[in-house]
Amino acid sequence: MDTLFGVETTQLMWTLLAVAGLGAAVLLLSALRNRVAFKMAVRNIPRRPSQTALIVLGLMLATLLFSASFTTGDTLTSSLRAESLQQIGEVDVVLSAEEPSNPNQFTGPAVSRDDYFDEAAAEEARDALSDDEEVAGVAPLAKETVSVVSEENDESEPRVDILGFDESSMDGFDTLTDPSGGTLSIGDLGENEVFVSATAAEELKIREGDEVEAFFGDGPAEFAVAGVYESGANPASDTSLAMGLDDLQSLVGVEGEINNVLVSHDGESLEGGANTDETVAALAPVLESNGLAADEVKRDAIERSDEAGAQVSSIFLLFGQFSIAAGILLIFLIFVMLAAERKRELGIARGVGMQRKHVVRMFAFEGAVYALLASAVGSLLGVGVGWVMVRIVGTAFAESGFDMVFSAKPENVVIAFALGMVLTFAVVLISSWRVSRLNIVRAIRDIPEPDKRGRTVKGILLALLTPALGALATWGGFEVGQMGLLLLGISLLIIGVVLVARVAGLPDRAAFTFAGAGLLTLWLLPSDYLPEGMSQGIDLFFLSGIMIVVGAVWVVIYNSDILLGAVVKAFGWIKGLPPVLKTAVSYPMQARFRTGMTLAMFSLVVFTLVTMSFINKSFATIFDDTDRLAGGYDIRADSGYAAPISDIEEALADAEGVDEERITSIGSVNGLPTEAKQRGAEGEAESLYVQGVDEGYSESVGYGFNITAEGYESDREVWEALQSEEDVAVVSARLAPTRNNFDLGGPPPPIELSGFFQEDEYLPGDLYITVEEPESGESRDLRVIGVVEDSAFYAGEVTTSQSVLSELVGFPVPAQSYMFGLEEGANAGEVAGSLENGFRENGLEANPLATEIEEGAAANDILSNLLVGFMGLGLLVGIAALGVIAARSVVERRQQIGMMRAMGFQRGQVRLAFLIESSFIALVGIALGVALGGALSGTIIGSIEQDFAGITYQVPWLTVALVVGVAYAASLLTTFLPARSASKVYPAEALRYE
Amino acid sequence: MSENGVSGNAGAERATAIIEASGVRKSYDSGDVKVNALKGLDLDIAKGEMVAVMGPSGCGKTTLLNCLSGLDEVDGGEVVIEGESIVGMSDRKRTRFRAERMGFIFQSYNLMPVLSATENVELPLLVAGVKPKKAHKLALAALEMVGIEDQARKRPAQMSGGQQQRVTVARSLVNEPAIVWADEPTGALDSETSKDIMDLLVRLNRTERQTFVLVTHDPAVAGRGHRTIRMRDGEVESEEKNAEANAGANIETNAEAYGSSSGGGN
Repeated sequence: MDTLFGVETTQLMWTLLAVAGLGAAVLLLSALRNRVAFKMAVRNIPRRPSQTALIVLGLMLATLLFSASFTTGDTLTSSLRAESLQQIGEVDVVLSAEEPSNPNQFTGPAVSRDDYFDEAAAEEARDALSDDEEVAGVAPLAKETVSVVSEENDESEPRVDILGFDESSMDGFDTLTDPSGGTLSIGDLGENEVFVSATAAEELKIREGDEVEAFFGDGPAEFAVAGVYESGANPASDTSLAMGLDDLQSLVGVEGEINNVLVSHDGESLEGGANTDETVAALAPVLESNGLAADEVKRDAIERSDEAGAQVSSIFLLFGQFSIAAGILLIFLIFVMLAAERKRELGIARGVGMQRKHVVRMFAFEGAVYALLASAVGSLLGVGVGWVMVRIVGTAFAESGFDMVFSAKPENVVIAFALGMVLTFAVVLISSWRVSRLNIVRAIRDIPEPDKRGRTVKGILLALLTPALGALATWGGFEVGQMGLLLLGISLLIIGVVLVARVAGLPDRAAFTFAGAGLLTLWLLPSDYLPEGMSQGIDLFFLSGIMIVVGAVWVVIYNSDILLGAVVKAFGWIKGLPPVLKTAVSYPMQARFRTGMTLAMFSLVVFTLVTMSFINKSFATIFDDTDRLAGGYDIRADSGYAAPISDIEEALADAEGVDEERITSIGSVNGLPTEAKQRGAEGEAESLYVQGVDEGYSESVGYGFNITAEGYESDREVWEALQSEEDVAVVSARLAPTRNNFDLGGPPPPIELSGFFQEDEYLPGDLYITVEEPESGESRDLRVIGVVEDSAFYAGEVTTSQSVLSELVGFPVPAQSYMFGLEEGANAGEVAGSLENGFRENGLEANPLATEIEEGAAANDILSNLLVGFMGLGLLVGIAALGVIAARSVVERRQQIGMMRAMGFQRGQVRLAFLIESSFIALVGIALGVALGGALSGTIIGSIEQDFAGITYQVPWLTVALVVGVAYAASLLTTFLPARSASKVYPAEALRYE
Repeated sequence: MSENGVSGNAGAERATAIIEASGVRKSYDSGDVKVNALKGLDLDIAKGEMVAVMGPSGCGKTTLLNCLSGLDEVDGGEVVIEGESIVGMSDRKRTRFRAERMGFIFQSYNLMPVLSATENVELPLLVAGVKPKKAHKLALAALEMVGIEDQARKRPAQMSGGQQQRVTVARSLVNEPAIVWADEPTGALDSETSKDIMDLLVRLNRTERQTFVLVTHDPAVAGRGHRTIRMRDGEVESEEKNAEANAGANIETNAEAYGSSSGGGN
């Protein structure tokens, strides 16, 4: 991972270290000037080792979350790099004939053969690079992808890359290495002999000495396997064969021609790509004269891996925001409580002449030491947490053979450390300033600060500025069409109005209840009641979480007496419980600030977990209906280019071993890369892969539409219109705008249509996409007559008839995929197997769609659960907060505990009072989180299901039960120790304690 | 025990000792120094008696109160309350014993800041298992008895020191304990409020017939009791009876304890 939120990590590291270093330097300087304050601060740290440990634990959680996110990203980056380089090896640049791009779509790219050109181009390239010391080798290559069948056992593999190497040019490239580490040389191959990759050998169940058949279109070619290699045949997929260049050329009938020139640079393969620009520049004349293009495979692969890693880190950080926010609240709470503990001594210090700034410094010194310790521990522990997460991700991909390579870049650990340090220290400074405002007499006598109800200069200023800011944000939200900004603005307006009313005399309960209820209503409002067409991103989720939690906490805290009364009434009849309950629930409701903060932390984290679980579970329901996702088809079969099937229905009748009776429908799909844009839209046309379907497809596909043009009675009519009407097309839902404009992230679609919403009744009659075939320059204006439903997993971005594609390109485009519908009860796996076998000469690769979808769903499940698990780390924050409060309460209430014991409270009753107190906060927090999470996910899913048919609101009982159980059990565990120490307080000692 | 102990009563030859302490020893560590707070102290206190314990700081007054009331354990000796030894009693039993038979008043009030005056007074009743409704009624009556029924709904922070101490007194008496222990009950109060509180305690001692043990520095407070015990270095240095206070004493005699009609006091 080299970038984070678009900033270079190295740059970020130095910036953060500079900020942290500057802070440390200022602090050290003032420590030298105020040695007494410094001594007081430092000596406070070891006074209560267990409390110090708890503080460090609480402070480190935010850092831990940073570090764990980065580690996961780093590991994914290195795993992806390793994975992609496996197929590239030492190859840095590949020259091939120029052709339009063929973007990798979900429907799978059509496999096509690179055009052949004169092999003299390789010589020219070598000459052009002869002066470049960084270039290690230049080699010609012929490459085909064909179907291969084992003659020994009839096993077939539809896609095998056959590489024709020129032995004399392979210096500077990888060598073919056999499983025992020995080298295989192409020059040693006899006539009709090949080397086979270990994976291909495994798939075909063959070994050295066996014979295979490869289908090149004109018929099979037979080869003897002369050896099996583990690695070295690059660039190719896992299933490959290697042979001499001349042999392959004569087999294909392209003597003296090649279709790739490979260039390799010096140095480690992982570091390759560095010299790419120079190489490509030096090759420019060769490329131009031969009509070739340079594919910077190494650099692209590394960049793609790095981007993916950075994206994963960003996703984890994005979803970790709640936990990080809760972590920041915790840091603040810890220092507020520390200040409360030190109140008396700080008052005395001020009394004997210490200035406010000295108090700030003293507190800042102490905080800095805690921050340093916490950030160091947190950043290292985060690597451990990241490692655990990576193990789990590994299991998600174990099936697909994707290996996780653990990696934690030191600079990212340093960033996590510095980020944690800077963040913690900033909060420390704010709380230090707050502490320094104490009233000396009140501090010494430990009298609570009077509630001025906002009637201070600062309070009035805040009351006036908040609604003003709110109005500005509301206006801004409308101006830029940002839903988040708009709702934030309205929220500030609500809070502001209440603050003004409070200054004017409105009681706190009424003020905060009104504000809280207002926020809850606003942020839980179904999308139907909100302005249309405004952009909504994942940031809205974060904002709404914070806002509804703040609202709910206000409502609860300021109406706690009702809740309290209910609790006492409900349990007051149990023998021995009334006095315990009375004290247990009174304390948290009196200390509104700390209870509110803890409640907010708890509910925020539980809310996030619950919302995510609800959404995951509801989205998972999409995968339940595989038939719907697959458009009613059961098998997709991709055809090889080397030996295309001219007429599938005819071929089926002749295919050996295929039970034609079981197949009820067949749709054929082909595709063409084009340049496309909406007619009349501004801007450049974008690369877009247009899909062509035949009559069989139009008659059998089961996908529905979110919206269609006027005049079509049914979905079927729209599909059939693709064949019967001229120049019409349907588009995927990704390309069409929706009213709520909800963006869940992911790459943007190649083009975005405008001028309508999917929620409208009909599509406008003049909605056209102009597509141009770049080679021929031919173009068409396709009228859009339908937006395919979101759950159409196998539909293309733009789908039209195959005849449109043929007209664009000037010749019939061969079918690339076939979709098969089977009769009820047919075994898709068996039929797919028989299809592959029956069409093995054509290299047909057939897969049951249900299995494909289920595998995708399973991997998706693991990843979603991992994300929930990561967010669950935030629970530690809430739990630590409870622990801190409980530990602090025992110290604060020592005398009162002594009095309770003197009065006759048994030890168990004291312990129970503390446990009930923590339970009260934890349970209210959990209940709030669950209720709010359930409500918000209801709103979210409600707005999604309008567009996304098939998604249904589901309650993830198991996850909710797990979250509730784990959160509550852990909170009890954390408070058990302080509760036990409270129960052990000796009354005589406690009462002496002043 | 009373033969050897510093026993005292008024109005009767041999009053019933509600508190009997003999050879009580207690030491504790203060930093690196071992402090012998009580050095084999003997003491008897009669039922209904109001005894003041005086002495310089560090002489062991509070330690004595803690040891006799069962708030602290003794290192040696014997403490018998109402005929039952509390030495070696399990924590659970001793706690219940305190809940049923003792009330406490402290200099710093030690009220629960989060509870109202009524709720604070209710607490010992609830601990003793009294039903919440009845506890509430009794608490209000106790507040009325100490003259602050109008403060019933206020929290400690909203009351003056004298009012808070009255709540403490109400709390200490609400479950009608046999003994009320008071550690510097007027230590944090001005002289006028001190006098009010002492008037209240004396009145309650007379009317409710409860035994009061007061630890104090204030001779005026000590003078209100039947007897003053002076301590020095963990031992009883002297004791004196207060004739004025004894004139109105209500101390139970042996004869009364054994069922005679010759009631205590005059």
